[in-house]
Formats: sequence, C-alpha cells, structure tokens
Amino acid sequence: MSPLKALRRWFVDPQFSKKKQFLHSLELFSDLNGGEMGELVHSLHARTYRPGEVVFVEGDIGRALFILESGKVELTRRGADGKPVLLYTLKPGEFFGEMALLESLPRSATATAVEASRLHLLYRTKLDAMLSSHPRIGVTIMAHLARLLSARLRRATGELSAAPATNA
Amino acid sequence: MPNHRRALPSLSAFVVAGACLYGAYLVRAALTPFVLAAAFAYVLNPLIVYFEARGLKRAHLVLAGYLAAGLLGYATYAGVKTIVVEQVTDLANDAPAYAKQIQKLVAAQQVKLTHALPLPPKVAEHALDSMVGTGLERVQALPTELLGLLPLLAHALLVPFIGFFFLLDGPDGFEHLIQTIPSRFVEQAIHLMGEIDTALGNYLRGILIVAAAITIVSFVGLLLLGVDNAFAIAALSGVSSFVPYMGAVVGILVGGGMAWYQFGTLWGAVKVALLFVGIRVADEALLQPVIARHSVHLHPMVFLLALILGGEIFGFLGLVFAIPAACILKALIQVGWSWYASETGLASAYGSAAEAVPYT
Repeated sequence: MSPLKALRRWFVDPQFSKKKQFLHSLELFSDLNGGEMGELVHSLHARTYRPGEVVFVEGDIGRALFILESGKVELTRRGADGKPVLLYTLKPGEFFGEMALLESLPRSATATAVEASRLHLLYRTKLDAMLSSHPRIGVTIMAHLARLLSARLRRATGELSAAPATNA
Repeated sequence: MPNHRRALPSLSAFVVAGACLYGAYLVRAALTPFVLAAAFAYVLNPLIVYFEARGLKRAHLVLAGYLAAGLLGYATYAGVKTIVVEQVTDLANDAPAYAKQIQKLVAAQQVKLTHALPLPPKVAEHALDSMVGTGLERVQALPTELLGLLPLLAHALLVPFIGFFFLLDGPDGFEHLIQTIPSRFVEQAIHLMGEIDTALGNYLRGILIVAAAITIVSFVGLLLLGVDNAFAIAALSGVSSFVPYMGAVVGILVGGGMAWYQFGTLWGAVKVALLFVGIRVADEALLQPVIARHSVHLHPMVFLLALILGGEIFGFLGLVFAIPAACILKALIQVGWSWYASETGLASAYGSAAEAVPYT
C-alpha cells in the first residue's frame, strides 16, 4: 500500500462513509452528490429508541423528519372508540413525519418503536439553514417532498372520485 | 389538570437552572479557562466540520490541526519576532519618558486652560487640579488594572489544551444528551440547540473576523504613518474590539496619544484618529452587512444593558461574553414563544385563496 493511501485510510472515517451510503440509498436524497451528502450527514441527529418507546404522539407539534435506519416503527391513529388503529409499519430505509418540514402542525399519527430502532432526525431549522447555505441540498429535498405530496394528493383525489362509483 | 402537570417540570427546570447559574457565578474564576476553551473550540469547530463532511476522522483532524497550528504559529513568531521583540523592548524603555511627557503636556494645557476659563484664577486652578488629579490617578492605576488581566494571559496555554478535548468530543455531548432525554423532548432539544447555535455562531465568528481585520489593517496603517509601537497598538485595538465599539476608541486614544508624543503635533494624532475612524467606517460598510446578515439582532437598549450588566458582574470577560449571553437568552425566549404559540394554536396554519382551487 502506498504511503498516500495509508495516510488516507488513517484519516477516513468508515462510519461516516457507511452513513453516507445509507442516506444515498434513500429516494429523498438520491440526487445529492458526495459533497452535499457529507453536509447532510452533519445536519442529521441520530437516536436509538428502545422497543415500545414512543417517538412522537398524535397531536404533538411536528418539527422534524425521521429516517429509519434499522428496526421497526409503527404508525397508529386513535380510532372512533379511542383505541389505536395501525396505519403502517415502517421498515429500514423509510422515512416519516416529513410534513413537519413544511409546517409546524399537530402530528396526524403516533409513532412507536416496535423493536430497538435507530432513527435519524432532520430538523426543520436545519433544512431552512441549508436552503440558504447549500441551496441545492435544500431545494432537492423540497422538490422530493413536493412530488411526494402531489402523488398523495393525486391518490386521495382518485380514491374520493372512485368512492361513489363503488357505492353505486 | 394535565396543564398543571406540564407546568410543574418547567418550574423545577427554572429553579435548577437558576441554582446552576448561581453556582457557576460563585466559582466563576475556576470556570474562566473552561468558558474560554469552549468558545475557542466552538469558533474552530466549523473548520473541523468542513473536513469531517468530506469523510475524515475528527480525532485525526484535530490532532493534525493542532500540529499545523503549532508549526504555523512558530513560523509566524520566527518571522515577526524581531519586530515584536524590538517594539516591546522600546515600549518598556520609553515608558518612563512617555509618562513624563504626558505630565508635561497636561501641566502646559492646565496653565493655558486656567487663563482661558471664565472663572477667577484660583477657582479655575482648583477645579482643574482636582480634574487632572483624578485623571492622573486613573492613569497611574492603569498598570495595576492591566496587571489584573494577566491571569487571562496565564490561560494562553490552558485554553488550547482544554479546547483540544472540547474539539475532540465535538457534537458527541449533544448526541448523548438527546439519547438520554425522554423521546418526546428530542425535537424541542434540537430546536433549542439549533437556534442557539445560529445566534451564537454567527456573532462569535463575526467578532473574530472583525478583530483580525482591525489588527491587520491598523498595523499596516500605523506602519505607513510611521507611528512607533504599531504592532502593540494594533494588537491592543484588535483585542479591544471583542467589546463592541471599543476597538476604534482604544486605537484612537492609544495610537493618537503615541503619535502626539512622537511627532509633537496634534496633526499626527488626528491622522491616527482618521485612520481608526476610516477602519470603523469600512467595518460598518463592508464587514458588518456580511456578518450581521444571519446574526441575532438585538435592540440597542438590550445591547447596552447586556454590556453594562456583563461588565458589572464579570469584569472584562463579562464585557466580551455579554452579547453572546444575550443572544442565547434571546434564542431561549424565541424558542419558548414558538412552542407556546404552536401548542396553544396562536400560530395559525398556512392558508390561502389558492387552497380553494381543486387539484389539477
């Protein structure tokens, strides 16, 4: 091994590369280049949740997006009888709570770690800061969120218009 | 009922925070190097983060940074050693002559003023004697006051040493904190830290840029004007600029006094004063718009109050850290208000006429 390569190996952080690789595999960040991904890694906070630990509760004011790196998280909503109704179970590589990046409004569901789960948090003020300091990163994330919102709205509109036909 | 339960932890948090602050005030002398080291590490951290974002290990970066800084510092010292040593020696040798010259000048001005004042000569002489006496007392007390700052110089080695460990740990402390606190408060903790970081970071990095710019520009300016002890005056002015507006004042007083003594005419002092006024104007016109763009804007009254309180309670260091402390306080209030507004529904949701148009 050349001395330059050995020096580079001594300096390079393998954990950081792993984190970057994981984030790059997500659709939300897939358009970012290496340097931008490095900046993004530094804007995220990581936390491990124990099984049964609540990430946030329905009605809490949302301020961050959560990315599931490992483990399993359940999204539930209170039903008419007050009992929790399971909406979705998240797998590693999926994200939730993304609407908090657009508006500070109450969460529409409760998120609970089903097993030991490692989550990355992207806080709204960090995204705002990136929009001015690294506009391309901020704009890329915002564009993905806009596409996601549009797809959901399109699906909801489709379901609504399909509903009377089904009833009839 | 739930509201009472929520209010209780907040109240106890305030009591604990107050007790911690009072405890810190009591042991402030011991905490000084740690506070300075934390500020030192905080200011340097973006440089480490810049390289860390390129995939390099923090510990190795800090080590390499310290080695590079040591070598650079030594090279700079070796380069300007002759100038600095010469100027310090000259200053030490000439100090008694400066004192005598100042006394002579004051005495000459006193005689002139005694005749010029529209008062009986005895009364004017008495009034001026008491004024000059007070002024000279302040001048005589100056060395003692400056000696009082010497313990700060003793921290010159301690601060980078402690700062090394702060830099090594980096954001780990905060990551541990968010791992420890109850999960429902994680978002609030990150919000609070983000606001404080934005306010404090911009301010601290801003004043460092200003201090460096003032030191370099005034050093070059004083050299061009041929004023003795240019380095000492420039360094003093640069360090003083950590206290808002003090850099120019100290530069005019010390540099102007030096030029007046050296050239024997007021014109020399006026040129130095014009130099520092020019630097101040350039700072306001060129640097401040860039620095202040993202920083926390404090009302002038709050600014002044913070400086007075900081100076009164903690002395010189209080003056330096008064504005950052006010920035933290402002961030705390802003975050507190933002939580209160969103929890109570005071902050309204986004809504516009465009919402009524069907999805197409």
